[in-house]
Amino acid sequence: MEPLQLFLVLLKDSALALGGLGSLPLLRQDLVATGVVTDAQLVEALAIGRLSTGPSGLWVVSLGYQMSGPLGAAIALVASSLPPLVILPATAVARRWLLSVPFAGLVRGAALATAGLLCATGVSLIAPAGDVPSWWQVAVGIAAAAFTYQGRLHPAVVVIGGAGLGILLAR
Amino acid sequence: MRELAKIFIAVGTQSVGGGTSVLLLLRRFLVEREHRLSEREFTEAWALCQLSPGIHLVALAGLLGQRIAGRRGVLVAVAGMMIPAATITAAMTAAYGLIAGEPIARAALAGMAPATGGMTLGLAIVLVNGARRHGLRATVDIALVAVAFAVLWATTLSSVAVIVVAATFGALFLGRERPTSPEGASE
Repeated sequence: MEPLQLFLVLLKDSALALGGLGSLPLLRQDLVATGVVTDAQLVEALAIGRLSTGPSGLWVVSLGYQMSGPLGAAIALVASSLPPLVILPATAVARRWLLSVPFAGLVRGAALATAGLLCATGVSLIAPAGDVPSWWQVAVGIAAAAFTYQGRLHPAVVVIGGAGLGILLAR
Repeated sequence: MRELAKIFIAVGTQSVGGGTSVLLLLRRFLVEREHRLSEREFTEAWALCQLSPGIHLVALAGLLGQRIAGRRGVLVAVAGMMIPAATITAAMTAAYGLIAGEPIARAALAGMAPATGGMTLGLAIVLVNGARRHGLRATVDIALVAVAFAVLWATTLSSVAVIVVAATFGALFLGRERPTSPEGASE
């Protein structure tokens, strides 16, 4: 994928997402479904994003690096950093509108749809199409969902725990 | 300005594990330790950031940087937090790439895939809990989640279209209570 094309895809998907992981379903549709990256690369990027420092939305930088090396990482960094900054002029000129009832509804609608898309993406990462997961993989998925929902266990521990179980049980 | 840069670089390099730890460190450095902002200013900025597209913490860094040091503060805050963290992320990706083909890495991936899938599911549940309304209205909200799930799962329709349609629907019919999703938004 050409650098400009990569930048535009990442920029669009970041601009239409709520939160750092909100772009996951969009990027999966744009990049995995079209064969540009694999689901395995996507999982690696998500895991590294959880293990690294900074916002978890930086998983996109890992994905960019896998696609085009340091240039891809830089493109991903810029493309994912620009859309959130729209809040600066927005708060300056339309603060009252941002706090209006219709805008609250717009954010709620987008958040609920994003949640539905994330559910579908999460399930398909646990059980990819045409692939039956092992019992322990289903158990890992359920446990990871529960730990994330409760928020008591550090995300890096969940990823490392999954990797450790994989090494023990999948070899 | 140099002090501001140091704070955001420290946040970008010390916050392991994503949004919650970034948020905690920003608050600790800027509100509790350095007294650059009041608790109220920090909370108000965070509430506004939940309305931004993309990574909410980038919006927060920009807003806090602007409040402390104007336009230059935006650049210093965002670059200070993001560039070191992105460099660490790219370095970790490069390091993983060296062993990605090894059997042990493939076995680890077999466990990481359901773990990240489960974490994505968990985040979705947090997001729903933060955004849904209560009582009978919750039925409409859950139905919207189910429709979005079904569209991505069973059709080839664009996810972008799903979000745009849902946001329009939300603006017209779902705006009676403000969404509150601090945890989901922190991602």
